[in-house]
Amino acid sequence: MSIDRIFSILAGYMDQYAVLPVLYHFHWMEWGDLSFDWCLVCVYGLFAVILTYAICWPLEHLRPIEHWPNQKAVLVDVFYTLLNRVGVIPVITFLLFYQAQTAFTGWVVSMGFIPPTLDSVIPGLFGHPLLTFWIYALILDFADYWRHRLSHTFRAWYALHALHHAQRQMSFWSDDRNHFFDDAIAFVWFFTLGLLIGIPPLQFPLLILGLRFIESFSHANIKLSYGPLEWLIVSPRFHRLHHALRAAGRVSCNYGGVFPIWDIIFRTADFSNVWLPTGDARAPEALATGSYLEQQICGAKMFFAALFAPKRPLGGGQAT
Amino acid sequence: MITRRTALALPLGLLAPAAAAQSAPPIAMVMNSAGASISVIDMTTRQVIGTHPAFREPSHWALTPDRKTLYVTDAGGNAFFAFDPLTGAPLGHMRIADPYQLAYSPDGKLLVVNALRLNFVDVYDAASLTLIKRFHVGKLPSHLDFSPDGRWCFSSQQGTDSLFSFDTQTLEPRWTRHIGSTPAGVLWHNGKVLVCIMGENGIIEVDPVDGSITRRQETGPGAHNIFFDEGNQILYISNRGPGDTSLSALDPVTLEVRRTYPIAGGPDDIGIAPDGKIWIALRFAEEVAVMDPATGDYDTIPVGRSPHGLYLSTCLSHKGKLTAENF
Repeated sequence: MSIDRIFSILAGYMDQYAVLPVLYHFHWMEWGDLSFDWCLVCVYGLFAVILTYAICWPLEHLRPIEHWPNQKAVLVDVFYTLLNRVGVIPVITFLLFYQAQTAFTGWVVSMGFIPPTLDSVIPGLFGHPLLTFWIYALILDFADYWRHRLSHTFRAWYALHALHHAQRQMSFWSDDRNHFFDDAIAFVWFFTLGLLIGIPPLQFPLLILGLRFIESFSHANIKLSYGPLEWLIVSPRFHRLHHALRAAGRVSCNYGGVFPIWDIIFRTADFSNVWLPTGDARAPEALATGSYLEQQICGAKMFFAALFAPKRPLGGGQAT
Repeated sequence: MITRRTALALPLGLLAPAAAAQSAPPIAMVMNSAGASISVIDMTTRQVIGTHPAFREPSHWALTPDRKTLYVTDAGGNAFFAFDPLTGAPLGHMRIADPYQLAYSPDGKLLVVNALRLNFVDVYDAASLTLIKRFHVGKLPSHLDFSPDGRWCFSSQQGTDSLFSFDTQTLEPRWTRHIGSTPAGVLWHNGKVLVCIMGENGIIEVDPVDGSITRRQETGPGAHNIFFDEGNQILYISNRGPGDTSLSALDPVTLEVRRTYPIAGGPDDIGIAPDGKIWIALRFAEEVAVMDPATGDYDTIPVGRSPHGLYLSTCLSHKGKLTAENF
């Protein structure tokens, strides 16, 4: 039995015995067709967390860059990860995207057009779903490069993104530690792109998980680079340079999430063979070691302060 | 891609493979909604002999009135995919807004499409596939059927718990009635309209004249779709609500449940093979079940993710009304 089928069966059980009873009880069965997809998202998310933990935890103990006597600051990152990958956030995002995409598509159709997808407009692409997937992956990663780079460019936006950079104990759990508003901006960013090029095909959930794994892995506290393949996939060393103290703030480097090619093309790549300490020296301590709520409140305060007092300096160092 | 011009040609069989197909083994085609694919199964060997890609989310099917082309809907991909109904060979696709479920009028002149996500009930000229009427009624239009004379069409609206009917000649709404939580499958039967009430535990019988409810019958939680086995005179209801899922066999006159078959994995659409075996798409299990209704035992065939619509090429020998719910 393939792993894909095992996930579907698990999602099916979750749907039948946990989600559908709730929908049925509250007369929300019109969501019954989609609830299986929600369960799949949660099952795949849980698997991703387990797999990431199974691979990264031993490596972080085998080849750590830093030794931390106390890992309390990592705990909040675990919470972020579970919330973002297994908990309610994926389902809420799914619902929001579905509703907004439906409203937009309905409007476009009522104007007499049919929204495009890449594989429906690029000749020869249809029938090659794997190729389609990789084209979508490249486009989305390109968009993510610019979203990320711009989040380091605008003062108010970086005030939100500083939460991600404030972590001094960066580990494979750190990928999802983001301010809610920062996640919301990312959602709008990718939603807009999704409307332009269509929703990516979702028939390769394992590949999607693979891409997410690369992002988690690149945050890991592991002394590892990919040698001659460093330019191909973002490595822990490459991304650590982005999280270095000197790269926090409005001028940084290595913005790429999965593919470093965008940093190479736009001259923001730094392949220095160094393992630097991470964090943002100018970020309030609450952003680094506060609880989830403390971090969110602090981030929001910084955001509004930056929005209404644009001259106030935020974030630190210069890119190398 | 097929253009609208070639789409016109499809019903005439101009793109259909040659007569060699007549000797093709019977096939089942399964629309894998979350896998963006269509599995083709040799019904004799029960092996998957091909998998065709779709854009996003294939769900249901309809045969053109001349029975020479099988259309599979892809709502998420905004497209129809055309296949040879005997061999399952792909014939191309065309863009159309959000086709979820569809049916031709009995005279073959109209094609009605439920656009579930976009809340439209679209009426197309069947020959040219030109949109001639768009109804903005209710929310989440789900399944549909016609009266045998083709005069009336009935469409369930999952999001507003209602059944909508329009006149196919005047293309004017007739009535919209609140009928119960999340109605889904619709079937004209014995002068009435049977509708599965997915948010409750059974089906209702509706008077087609005014939309009033004339009967109720419990089948199981999440009654989803309804099919009529004309040969054996049995109505089958797939129940895929919370908890254990099942298939109910009903007396077509009294609507009483004759037997309930426990079917794990969320039964959705079904097809009845000439040997009496019932083929069942199992949404949560990535499988199609082939069940012997005499014993209730079933084997399964692995397919793609979230199998939804199910087509059996053996239905082509059926002389009467030919829709997904009726052979």
